[in-house]
Amino acid sequence: MDFKTLLNKEFISLDGGMGTMLQARGLKPGETPEALNLEKPQILIDIHKEYIAAGADIVYANTFGANRYKLEHCGYTVDRVIRAGILNAKKAVAESENPEALVALDIGPIGQLLEPTGTLTFEEAYDIYKEQVEAGGEADVIVFETMTDLYELKAAVLAAKENSNLPIICTMTFEENMRTFTGCALSSMALTLEGLGVDAVGVNCSLGPAELYPVAEELCKWTNLPVVLKPNAGLPDPVTNEYNVSPKQFAELMEKIVPLGVKIFGGCCGTNPEFIKELNLMLKTQKFNKINHEIPAACCSASKTVVIDRPRIIGERINPTGKKRFKEALLAGDIDYIIGQAIEQVHGGQSPAGGADILDVNVGLPGIDEGEMMIRAVKAVQGVVDVPLQVDSTIPEVLEKALRVYNGKPIVNSVNGEEKSLQTVLPLVKKYGACVVGLTLDENGIPKTAEGRFQIAERILERAMALGIPKENVFIDCLTLTVSAEQDAAMVTLEAVRRVKTELGLKTVLGVSNISFGLPERVIVTHNFLTMALQSGLDLPIINPNVADMTGSVRAFNVLAGYDKNSLEYVAAYGAKKDAPVSANAANAPKQDIDLNYAIENGMKAEGAKITEELLKTTDPMEIINGLLIPALDKTGSEFESGKIFLPQLILSAGVAQSCFEVIKNHFAKTGAKSVSKGKIILATVKGDIHDIGKNIVKVLLENYGYDVIDLGKDVPYEAVLNTAVEQNVHLIGLSALMTTTLASMEKTIALLHENNVDCKIMVGGAVLTPEYAEKIGADYYAKDAKESCDIAKRVFEEFYPHG
Amino acid sequence: MNRLLTNRAEFVIISLVMKMELEKLDRAEAFRYMGHKGGEIPENITALADECEERLLKNAAPKFVWRVFDIEKTAEGVLVKGTPLVLKGRSIASHLRVCEKCVLMAATLGTSADAVIRGYESGEMEKAVIADCLASAAIEQVCDLAEAEIQTALSGMHFTWRFSPGYGDLPLDIQSDFLNVLNAQKRIGLTATENLILVPRKSVTAILGVSENKLPKGRRGCAACNLKETCAFRKSGKHCGG
Repeated sequence: MDFKTLLNKEFISLDGGMGTMLQARGLKPGETPEALNLEKPQILIDIHKEYIAAGADIVYANTFGANRYKLEHCGYTVDRVIRAGILNAKKAVAESENPEALVALDIGPIGQLLEPTGTLTFEEAYDIYKEQVEAGGEADVIVFETMTDLYELKAAVLAAKENSNLPIICTMTFEENMRTFTGCALSSMALTLEGLGVDAVGVNCSLGPAELYPVAEELCKWTNLPVVLKPNAGLPDPVTNEYNVSPKQFAELMEKIVPLGVKIFGGCCGTNPEFIKELNLMLKTQKFNKINHEIPAACCSASKTVVIDRPRIIGERINPTGKKRFKEALLAGDIDYIIGQAIEQVHGGQSPAGGADILDVNVGLPGIDEGEMMIRAVKAVQGVVDVPLQVDSTIPEVLEKALRVYNGKPIVNSVNGEEKSLQTVLPLVKKYGACVVGLTLDENGIPKTAEGRFQIAERILERAMALGIPKENVFIDCLTLTVSAEQDAAMVTLEAVRRVKTELGLKTVLGVSNISFGLPERVIVTHNFLTMALQSGLDLPIINPNVADMTGSVRAFNVLAGYDKNSLEYVAAYGAKKDAPVSANAANAPKQDIDLNYAIENGMKAEGAKITEELLKTTDPMEIINGLLIPALDKTGSEFESGKIFLPQLILSAGVAQSCFEVIKNHFAKTGAKSVSKGKIILATVKGDIHDIGKNIVKVLLENYGYDVIDLGKDVPYEAVLNTAVEQNVHLIGLSALMTTTLASMEKTIALLHENNVDCKIMVGGAVLTPEYAEKIGADYYAKDAKESCDIAKRVFEEFYPHG
Repeated sequence: MNRLLTNRAEFVIISLVMKMELEKLDRAEAFRYMGHKGGEIPENITALADECEERLLKNAAPKFVWRVFDIEKTAEGVLVKGTPLVLKGRSIASHLRVCEKCVLMAATLGTSADAVIRGYESGEMEKAVIADCLASAAIEQVCDLAEAEIQTALSGMHFTWRFSPGYGDLPLDIQSDFLNVLNAQKRIGLTATENLILVPRKSVTAILGVSENKLPKGRRGCAACNLKETCAFRKSGKHCGG
């Protein structure tokens, strides 16, 4: 018997709780249950047999926490524990009345949270799961259960898919708010996992069958895979301390769930063989209710699903093409700049625009490692915004890197009608379960006619479907050409959009900005073309959402076309007061009297930037920096030292100065002038430490004083500090640690720098540090706060490294 | 509705309930964490704090879990009966010296509170700092509420103040076992990194001594604190009041 054959049964029964059974046999809380596989195998064999006797078709081996992290202290290897666990279950099956029962390799969460919340990387998680999957090769099916982080589950599924041929069942744990602890939504789970090609999805633990009814109902809407439900025995009772659902009630409550279309049933915490027996008695009286759900075209992040049932905005700003400042940021590895672009497009920046539903991410630039940058950009952006991403590259290897580390169901931009593109990109789209944008061009270029483009769209769709990519995952871009160069082209594009939409039934994508190239007042033409395209059936306009007119067009269209019911979203976007607190403050101030000093002292970012722009027309940028910005910063700095202002005010002022510097940097980028750096400084929060905030404050202040800060981030390996210092010839290194447990990492980092005779000074800071300890571990300076780190930097570069 | 889930004196409060309780954050405490030493808070900072507080209240999902255990004092340390935990060191021994039982508790604001702070960090550091301190105040409030729940549930008993791993000479390396004993990852999504940092970041683990007898009034003093060498409050001649 295998899992696929088993699916022919009316229903499949899983087993019940394992922890409950083991605790009843003397396991103490906090002990490693998996060690029993080797120490007391008979206990497990007996439990499995009881479950099979109760009717379980699949029993979960006692391998839930058998990963290298959790077994670290128990003295057994992952391989031994898992092999023994599966062997016990296999023995039980052989000795039972149902020798056809299957054994599942049961795998739970690692026990460490993944980046960006925790420190475990996606790649490490993959490795940990790979080890478990490889050890469990004797099982009949792999189960990942009790998962709360979709990202961790994706690492697990990839590890299983790439290192085993066994079928995969995934169940996550949801709270009553229909989300997991990490905020994963049911729709996102279903779309992502079905895309990755798992064999069944579902829900286990946390609540009883009554509370899980709405959860199961929502899940069933989003998938046509077999759905699994493994609830607890209700909720633990506050008085009797026992779970409040009896085996009979459990079966009755589960019966109500059958019509939803759930196929696979079992029990979790608090359930025992009695529950499984009652469950099976009930299932014998029922018929499986196969429902075919039409799954809409949609992409998602872990917490947000964007259904393409109306025009949705794809923000185009994360793309270096034609943007000098962006290119500089990429060359400098300045990931914060990219994050800033992401946040502005979604939430609006200084102006109340924003409104992107999806973000395109393109980091292609000669001279950088695009693949590595793509991984960093995807991880960083998905860490701060919840909109889904469209990964954009001309290089398939880069696309694959992005697809691997993306948390959710992304869009791939793009494939086209060329044979080579179809052959390399579509298999990636299939493997990672993404949506894909198909460009209507091929070896012969862009067809001049709508018919020509339509035919390519048709071809792309056929090829995608032949690989098993669902039709709703294919979006077509009929390509916008420049109307000033080819006037007929605009209508050809629109006609192609209309035909792809109506005749092929596919969603359409269009980058619209190209249309107005070479014309004056471009926004008028672009904006009108956008409206025409929407009317022709455009679903996914790729635009700059920071241009209020463009976003406004889409919002207005959604009202006029009847998608935005009662204009709720439109009113939400424009009807409410949008005054940010800081600009509200500014509005009260007499406008004409504001100078740079005033803006900096009062935390007025937008005004600071505006004044700087004005000043640049008449004043040398260096004079603005040295004559205005630095003195203003010195003033707030000394006010901070004397206790006249406190930390948030200091940082707010620094933030204004930063927005002024950003304007100056843009000016330098435009004029091609090299900005003058006062020196390069590495900042890092040491290995093992994830308290980043202090270091980030220091960074803002140092940048304001004109230093080039190379921010290595948090949890930084010792070697990374050494290598960067050597490669980039950096003479000042700032290290931060906030825990007594991570001070050792600081010491090791310093030792490594000294061992390698790096010509540099080291300053350290962090809550648990003292000047004495700093000296003891070999640091040159102890900085008690961010302000002092600026003083140290000044001294170091003046005294030791006057040339930066 | 205050729904309690219990499993042998083990309680989890559904996030919704706690959210309703946490309708206001302790601003004064948060500003103190930011180094404010008295005087009026400027208007623009108050406005920023309003925005940060709203975001945090909207996103934070406070949860806690606790359980009561018998303890036994041995030469090796205080044994938490029925678990592999041994609480070592003089400070915890003294903290629990007249207690027969202890409560292990863990509380968290959840990953989304971290995400709020992280979101601010890339371009709005002033809000990141304010949100960070507000969240620190919030988790203390959650612990206070949790403690109140525990005291109600174990009414008639007497309690010490909250003592956390890492205080005094109680080693921090019991963190993982501590979380395992409470099954904290499964119940409230709380984990510790290899370097024993709690994740989600805004989380607390603590031990409360429990006794049937009235406890001698003992304040938590600076001497027991692991930050006593570097504490900003102490440097300025004050204390955090803990």
